[in-house]
Amino acid sequence: MNHDDFEQRLQCQPPRQIPAEWREEILAMAGRGSRVEGRAQKRPRPSSLVSRLSTVLWPHPVAWAGLAAVWIFIFAVDLSTRDSTPVVVGNFSPPPAEVIVEVRQQQRLLAEMIGPRDVREADRYRSSAPRPRSELVEQLTT
Amino acid sequence: MRREPELGRLYDEHAQSLYAFLLNFTRDESDTRDLLQEIFIKLARHSELLEGARDERAFLIRLAHNAAIDLIRRRGTRERTSEKFATESIAPFMPASNPDEQAFRAGLAEALAELPPDQRAVVHLKLWEGLTFEQIASALNIPPNTAASRYRYGLDKLRDRLRPLYEEIK
Repeated sequence: MNHDDFEQRLQCQPPRQIPAEWREEILAMAGRGSRVEGRAQKRPRPSSLVSRLSTVLWPHPVAWAGLAAVWIFIFAVDLSTRDSTPVVVGNFSPPPAEVIVEVRQQQRLLAEMIGPRDVREADRYRSSAPRPRSELVEQLTT
Repeated sequence: MRREPELGRLYDEHAQSLYAFLLNFTRDESDTRDLLQEIFIKLARHSELLEGARDERAFLIRLAHNAAIDLIRRRGTRERTSEKFATESIAPFMPASNPDEQAFRAGLAEALAELPPDQRAVVHLKLWEGLTFEQIASALNIPPNTAASRYRYGLDKLRDRLRPLYEEIK
């Protein structure tokens, strides 16, 4: 098979002709497209966004899926290990203000029931400061 | 924004070439129409696009090539494209009245569809656009030697594939 003959043979094959009616339609669409350019450029259309994403992700879809799976795994592990943390923090949180006020009232009531007692101003201040619950209980029992 | 008479001139001078080039990639008339429309909308919106271009045809072919490659990527794997080609594709050549000639054109269309897109682009531009390797290189943004080698590989594959048909009608 002669090289040049074969090439010439291929070149003789006439390409299909473009449909004549396309001219008006395409030029009209192009004209309309250019008039709405401003609006279209302000907000990316979902189709173009999807198209861009597919262009970015297409070359290695398995790699992207793998990466996503790794992130999901990391997120899941993080969530499962986070559960114990609030309990530990909760043990060390100071008692709420209502509890302190209540304890103070009980102290006063107890003091009145026991009888007059010299309570120095400095002790009053000290007792009013927030303390660990164990200390308050000790104070109440003594 | 490009004026409509200028767009009309571009269409009259280049649309047929772009259509044939795109059809060779898509094998689907509505996809080809969409891509052609996309190109002309782009030209209408960005009048500056062609201002710096030395060769209008080469520049438009580059736009068409990029659009066709994007479409192929969107479609997915080449197997899916081949599958579509087998079922509902449109031939990129005019139908022939002679049955032997028609069989050769159908065989050529199939053989072209089996070429990798980069070889198919070069073969099309060389054979049916009559571009030189320098012009093809400029249009596809590749070195001229690469264009020449892709053409050689592509042509060899077509020759191997079409040898029986070619010998028959010769």
